[in-house]
Amino acid sequence: MTDTTTTDPAAATGEGFRWIGKPVKRKEDPKLVTGRATYVGDVNPPGMLHAAILASPHAHARIVSIDTSRAKALPGVVAVLTGAEAAEVVGPMTAFCAEPVPQHAIAVEKTRYWGEAVAAVAAVDRYVAEDACRLIDVEYEVLDPLVDMVEAMDPAAVKVHDTLEGNVVFHADKSYGEVDADFARADRVIRTHARWHRMGAQPIETAGAVCSWDPFTASMTIWSNSSFYNFLPWSFASMLGISTSRMRMIPCAVGGSFGSKHLLNKVIAISGALTKVTGKPVRYLEDRLENIAANDNVGCDRIYDGELAITDDGEFLSLKLHCIDDYGAYFQFGPGQHGCALAQPVGPYRINSLQYEVSAVLTNKVQQGFFRGAGADHGNFILERLVDAAADELGIDRAEIRRRNFIQPDQFPYKIPSGNVYDSGDYEGVLDRALTLADVEYWRAEQKRLRAEGRYIGIGLATCQERTAYNATEWWFLYDNPPLPATSTPESIKIDIDAFGGVRAELGCPVWGNSPQTVASQVIAEEFGIDPADVSIEHNDSTSGAISAGPGGSRLTVMLSGAARGAAGQLREKMIRIAAHAMEVSPEDVELSDGVFRPRGVPTHTGLTFADVAMKAHLFKQTNPEGESSGLVATYTYDHPLASMPTEDRKDTGAFYPIVSHACHIPIVEVDPESGLVTMLKYYAVNDCGTVMHPKLVEGQVIGGIAQGIGAALMEEYRYDEQGALISGSFREYLMPSSHEVPEIVLEHQETPSPVTPYGVKGAGEGGRLIAPTAIAAAVDDALKPFGVWIDELPMTPERLVEVIARAEDRAEDEESGR
Amino acid sequence: MKPAVFSYQSPRTLDEVFGELAEHGSDARVLAGGQSLIRLMNARTETPGVLVDINRIPGLDEVTVEDGVVRIGALVRQRTSEVSPVIREHTPVFSEAGAEVAHVSVRERGTVVGSIAFADPCAELPTALVALDGEIVARSTRGERVIPAEQMFLGPYRTALAEDEMAVEARLPALPTGRTGSAFLEITRRHGELPVCGVASILRLDDDGQITEARISVGAVGDRPQRARAAESALLGRTTDPEVWREAGELAAREIEPRPTVHGSSAYRRHLASVVTRRSLSRAAARALEGAHHV
Repeated sequence: MTDTTTTDPAAATGEGFRWIGKPVKRKEDPKLVTGRATYVGDVNPPGMLHAAILASPHAHARIVSIDTSRAKALPGVVAVLTGAEAAEVVGPMTAFCAEPVPQHAIAVEKTRYWGEAVAAVAAVDRYVAEDACRLIDVEYEVLDPLVDMVEAMDPAAVKVHDTLEGNVVFHADKSYGEVDADFARADRVIRTHARWHRMGAQPIETAGAVCSWDPFTASMTIWSNSSFYNFLPWSFASMLGISTSRMRMIPCAVGGSFGSKHLLNKVIAISGALTKVTGKPVRYLEDRLENIAANDNVGCDRIYDGELAITDDGEFLSLKLHCIDDYGAYFQFGPGQHGCALAQPVGPYRINSLQYEVSAVLTNKVQQGFFRGAGADHGNFILERLVDAAADELGIDRAEIRRRNFIQPDQFPYKIPSGNVYDSGDYEGVLDRALTLADVEYWRAEQKRLRAEGRYIGIGLATCQERTAYNATEWWFLYDNPPLPATSTPESIKIDIDAFGGVRAELGCPVWGNSPQTVASQVIAEEFGIDPADVSIEHNDSTSGAISAGPGGSRLTVMLSGAARGAAGQLREKMIRIAAHAMEVSPEDVELSDGVFRPRGVPTHTGLTFADVAMKAHLFKQTNPEGESSGLVATYTYDHPLASMPTEDRKDTGAFYPIVSHACHIPIVEVDPESGLVTMLKYYAVNDCGTVMHPKLVEGQVIGGIAQGIGAALMEEYRYDEQGALISGSFREYLMPSSHEVPEIVLEHQETPSPVTPYGVKGAGEGGRLIAPTAIAAAVDDALKPFGVWIDELPMTPERLVEVIARAEDRAEDEESGR
Repeated sequence: MKPAVFSYQSPRTLDEVFGELAEHGSDARVLAGGQSLIRLMNARTETPGVLVDINRIPGLDEVTVEDGVVRIGALVRQRTSEVSPVIREHTPVFSEAGAEVAHVSVRERGTVVGSIAFADPCAELPTALVALDGEIVARSTRGERVIPAEQMFLGPYRTALAEDEMAVEARLPALPTGRTGSAFLEITRRHGELPVCGVASILRLDDDGQITEARISVGAVGDRPQRARAAESALLGRTTDPEVWREAGELAAREIEPRPTVHGSSAYRRHLASVVTRRSLSRAAARALEGAHHV
């Protein structure tokens, strides 16, 4: 295949490409697997100091006094800062909420959660810094801790922030479409409750930054694993009290984020404050305990009550969702996690209208941020549970009821009642393939056979959306008077071709697990007809002028493809013009294949090589077409391909998350009803993320996401005691699945290309985790059907399952005895 | 997660160790495999002033049998114990419990005696030790004494060892031959985790299939591994029958005072004590009926 012209995306499939969709070698791997990547922990500027923090032992307390004199006297200690002292050199952390919820990297006056920093030390090494922390004397006035979100809603409850009226920091009750009319014409209303406890990303590498202040030029250099250095660099500069033009942020390799490393302005503020007062570079890199307790990016913690209005034929009419969400002590991203959920509240189903009510509550816990799924994971859970409940109540097969309500392929682009648009999909195709792949008939027979032996296996099913290519507008569009207008959340790239034809690309995004180097090289190779291995990739720092929102919201592959194709296209056109001129043919008659420009349809022509044309472009202007400038450099910024503004009256959110992937998951589980242990036996998934950019990369994303979803379903949970102390503060208490708990995952792809993205690709970063928890919940209650168990709470810890079974048995006994 | 300042000693003889312990008392800690202690030091939960590393002392890494008693030295690694043919032959329940300890890489470093002296109430090896009526040899500059397993464990991370004593050896009396069966069974929330309940049981049957001896040690439920004496007594004279195991499980669950942790409330642990005791006895009985006491 040598056709390298830009393919019409509407017709795009992986088959028409030379490099798109091919499992090329991952460009990032050699450095990562040989330990040569530079992480924050590898950055060691001369004279660097190491920071440690003193963490609050109370969930809620007024800081009466802090005496740092003993710590300062310890040999090796260079500086000690209390929150109040740090606030004199750095400002509060950036917040995207409209409400007055100030947040300092080091607590000022009051500490609002267990583990919050109350002082920071810079010393010659981290050992001495930690020693010094234990010499800081803090007098606290302990306040009532708010641990339970429902209790915190009580107007009489103590307040987390005195600047607010109460602890319900945000409330919205939005109706989209004719909700009342749809409920009035329903034959019945399905109701279920759902509870999803808080979980966290737990990346291998914690958050960190090295900041180096130069007092002579009033400039700061920052190395960090934040991904927002080319999206919101001004937010760091204003927090640090420096000019945007005097700040340079250098990206480091990132050892896992799963959404938890977008802003990271706490580590930057702490390092920044300490470098400002010491004049020396300072590294603050969270240790494991700090990352678990205080990473500022734990997942949502939600109580749902859902109502689905249906007909007796199993047709869905309308959906009501009422949600209380425990945001912890701060509100940095506003109600963004509900903005995210509103991308796909009705899932892949035709549901005419929607009521969405949310109460965001502040409590004395570390705050929510963005964690893979970002609030849409919980939305999938309540919706799929309602769908399963509807199927069970009507006696319709769980697959069949979905089939009856799927949005059909000819209905795209499909506008959901709240306004977001789904670009494309073939949900029934995915479902059919999944049912075949999993051989559900076989497992039903196995279930029957094993039940006779007293064993309980279950077959789950979930068909869910994965909204991708996010648009940060979701953080604030739920406000009636949003603090910011809509953003297109763009992505940039710069490509240059040297005089020898060497191709180099500079990315604005950091090295995260989504392989931007590999993707950019595939796209550039596709456009130029060269080998991806020949494309050299660099990562720009924040001074390049590139705009990059980086990875997040499953956007990067889509957006980076657009940027790379745009820049490569400009250069290719220029080279074609130069080659055409030299060969004395018109540009339309030139083709580029295998790195050679030839007159179209004349394969015997010697043509001009990539290097020939590049040299001409660089040095021999007089031989080139009239008016063609020298050099081969292109910068291209790709804006979101399908985003629209919310309406003034907020009755329509606009299209903000419209590139929608889809998947059907079928997990097979075995439950031991006596111990409550769930064993994953097998896992089947059919994923549709449009054109598969790179099968290995997508496979890694989906399987990794399913593994995290198994954790969400069965074990991961932040637990606090009655005083608000974190009692799951290490990996002995906060359990995640290991390879032993993740079964064989059989994965297939269906490709329904997006009509609006380059090559038809859609995002694939979150689908595994967005879907697995609800699929596993369905499998567990299928296994425990003889007990009449209904799963409405995650994670399904063994103890919770034993309790649920006992309650179901009590209910059955009560019914039997007619009580 | 950096440890507080400590001094590090690496003596070549046990007498030097006893000297350090006599001098520093509770400020000294013995380092063997370090699989628990180092982690706690990094979290500064433990801040010993003196770390006495016994890894360079010769002669502590042997498993021997003498007069029907298996002796396990203070530097015998958990993995060595787990795969030792001697231990498997004489005290198979100890091998079975050993295979459940964490992961192989941990067992390659962690020591048997270290796990016992650390006294995590959930740990597998102390539970098996109690079932086997094992003993710990404690030594100090003051001399040597032998501590029966049941008296060794006082509560979570608390043992009968004095500040100046070191556990130098674990002793396991061999199980009787003939119709004896044993089993170790546990419930863990994840592979390689400490159990939420672990039960070691030993059953001996006479020729008529009647139970002549029963030992049940319940770990991870209470604040230390404990024998379920009432359940043991109730089993004597009974025959092997699922109903008998169920009754024994319920008795065992009633006599252990459960201790809640983040992985399970008291009620859940009590419930598991019943389930796991029943399952453990059933397995031990099946093995006894096979006439062999291998695992």
